[in-house]
Amino acid sequence: MGKKLRISSKTECDALIIGAGGAGLRFGVELLEHKPGLKIVAVTKVGHPQKSHTNTAQGGLAAVDPEDPFDDPVYHMFDTWKGSDCSADQNIIKKIVESAWEQVIWLENHGMHFSRNEEGRLSKRTFGGHTVRFGEASAFRAIYEADRTGKGIMDTLWFEALKGGISFLNQSVATELLFKGNRCAGAVIFNQKNGKFVTVLSKVTVLATGGSGQLYRVTTNCRQNTGDGVGLTLRAGLPVMDPEAVQFHPTGIVGPGILASETLRSVGGILRNKDLEPFMERYAPAMKELAPRDLVARAIENEIREGRGVVNPDHKIEHVWIDLRHLSDYVHDVQIPEVSGFFKKFVNLNPKKDLCPVRPSNHYHMGGIPTDEFGRVMADKRRPIDSLFAVGECASASFHGFNRLGTNSLLELITMGKFAGQKALEYLDQGVESPEGKPGEKTFGLFSQFLEANGKESVFTLRRELQSLMTEKVGIYRRASGLEEAMERIRELRERAIHAPIENKSLLMNQELILRWELENLLWLAFATARAALERKESRGAHFREDYPERRDEYHHHTLVRMERFGRLEISSRPIDMSLYNKKGAHWERFGILERKY
Amino acid sequence: MAQSYKLRLEISRWDPDRSKGWVQGYEIEAGGILRFTDVFRKINEELDPTLAWNSSCEHAQCGTCSVLINGRAMLACELLVENAVAQFGTTRFKISPIGVAPVVRDLVVDLEHAYERVHRSKPYVIKRVENPLKGGEYRVSPRTLDRYVEATRCINCFCCAAVCISSNKGFLGPNAMLASIVRMMDPREGEKKERLKLLYSERGLYRCHTSKGCSHVCPKGIDVAHFLALAKQGDFQGGRPAERR
Repeated sequence: MGKKLRISSKTECDALIIGAGGAGLRFGVELLEHKPGLKIVAVTKVGHPQKSHTNTAQGGLAAVDPEDPFDDPVYHMFDTWKGSDCSADQNIIKKIVESAWEQVIWLENHGMHFSRNEEGRLSKRTFGGHTVRFGEASAFRAIYEADRTGKGIMDTLWFEALKGGISFLNQSVATELLFKGNRCAGAVIFNQKNGKFVTVLSKVTVLATGGSGQLYRVTTNCRQNTGDGVGLTLRAGLPVMDPEAVQFHPTGIVGPGILASETLRSVGGILRNKDLEPFMERYAPAMKELAPRDLVARAIENEIREGRGVVNPDHKIEHVWIDLRHLSDYVHDVQIPEVSGFFKKFVNLNPKKDLCPVRPSNHYHMGGIPTDEFGRVMADKRRPIDSLFAVGECASASFHGFNRLGTNSLLELITMGKFAGQKALEYLDQGVESPEGKPGEKTFGLFSQFLEANGKESVFTLRRELQSLMTEKVGIYRRASGLEEAMERIRELRERAIHAPIENKSLLMNQELILRWELENLLWLAFATARAALERKESRGAHFREDYPERRDEYHHHTLVRMERFGRLEISSRPIDMSLYNKKGAHWERFGILERKY
Repeated sequence: MAQSYKLRLEISRWDPDRSKGWVQGYEIEAGGILRFTDVFRKINEELDPTLAWNSSCEHAQCGTCSVLINGRAMLACELLVENAVAQFGTTRFKISPIGVAPVVRDLVVDLEHAYERVHRSKPYVIKRVENPLKGGEYRVSPRTLDRYVEATRCINCFCCAAVCISSNKGFLGPNAMLASIVRMMDPREGEKKERLKLLYSERGLYRCHTSKGCSHVCPKGIDVAHFLALAKQGDFQGGRPAERR
């Protein structure tokens, strides 16, 4: 204690990437393709970029092959729009969908090991919510690398980053954004490995810190997905968009929460309740198991709530079954080996013979740092911040609206990473700026509080309590009374957190210290999420209010939340872009406010 | 079902502030289908918040949580307590960091250091062959892909490198070799000469003594030694003569 925290050095670079997963590295590689030799620094919280969460995506990425006689980009746009519960921005949908195939080819040409068909071309398969002819039949649109598509993308991107000479600050986090007027000047980085804080000044900065699954008790997310980028943005006084739009994947494996991909359902897996009834027929007569995620998740949760779930004796968690027993050995061994193997490894079951326990798990945050179509971070409804970008799950452009379709997130991260990189080129002619204020001041305020706390609370217990609270009150089903209670309790948790001591006071690879910092980020995001969910008195996509079960047109907008000081929140809105509808091009009538039935 | 076990874990610790190492024992009760990462978390929550360990995805897809458990290199996230008790026939476990890089603290090693060897083997496509179909994908037949697809599943957990008897003699290591062998077999790679040089370099393939420890411990079940053997023979067509052109 009494240790004086200080900035130990200052470096300058062309581009600073905060979060070196798929989106962040796609951004960096795009810069290098146009200007080889740029000095790019990529900060990652994990031990090496290959360990990023992108790596765990399984199913595939959606892209319409221009040579496909049955599919068409407009169908993909329609599915995304409908899937988003009419809440995605249509300019973003158009831009991403239209460049999807080109980006798939880019990945393939750079060495990704996509699965192939007999002609040696890219294999395609169906995926939940993706259709041809506006919902008539399932589309073969998911391009994949077995059931490790995310790994294929992550590998291709870190290989290219390595080849292009991006330098990495591994096991490091950004603790503070630096500004000069309306321009981002860089960030303060804390390197856990040497315990040092450094100032990195950059011409452009991109936030690509990923999701925030650790906000919930059961999540498919990695251990480090704690909403750090959103926390950073909120504390910088910038808005966050649609924090209440949180996706629960219908099929997390009980109890570690590991994702059992949609692929299991697209190859023919059937969901059954305790009476072994294939219950999806009751909820989505046409699409059944392939209906969008929020519908399937609510269906399962409803089966459980109405007493048709099964309780796992080891984890004491209620679940339903996914039945894979009727699938051929070929499907098990060739099409879904990794996912099928998860059941063997993590719950000691054989999916060829046994029913497998699954339940909805937190999976994806559609909301995040608001950006325009170039990935530029927005200071408000209209004005972007100079040289600050956000891409990937921490950002919201918004391509997914209030519900994301499977295979659309990998597509989003490579396309938005590329678009943002392209735009960032325009900012490279300027020099670096000296930031206003004292870099590190905010960071040291927080960190000395963490290191000097000496009460009786436990950081671990507080995190667990927050996760349970969010799962119960701000989860799949929400209502006003629960959300109000949640806000009250999040305030209390934050008060208690201030007194949670850290036993080890070292700055060197001190995971207690990082956990405490993560808890702070989680609390900020939790409060913003609960408050925004309370404000939205309707149900839309993944945001489901029991007290307002219908979607209401008066809420046809994005939520913008600003919270520079904890608990003091300003809510405003951003209109949803309806340009496909308003421009009256081909099939424009498909892009109005639609009823969402599957 | 729902059986729980009284475990004794003896964990190697390292305090970088004092440059001091020691072994610390923890007694803890854990349910049968908890994983070792869950057990570490339980130790943090109930016994000792200062114990540092590393993980990321916690479902055997990222290879961050590799440790030595009773001397065997494995991923802590996929070892269930009940399986560990069955496999090792004991409830006492010695846990130490994987010896492929300097320890940062306790069970956390400097992965960046370990990865340097993979970086040296240039896992990317060095130089692409010309694509006959401009603007489209390369045609790669599923048979060709089959020859090396297994090796692309490597997650660089370094379990193989940890047990490799040649690793300490400058050998780049089984996983680093694998990354290069994949590109030798990948029809899109145009720079085969440099690859061969790399594979047959001073720190390359011939350091391998074919102990096959790599294949034995690979959490992904990749037969690493098989690929190394093919490469030693210069057989990058995957050892299936019938399919050679």
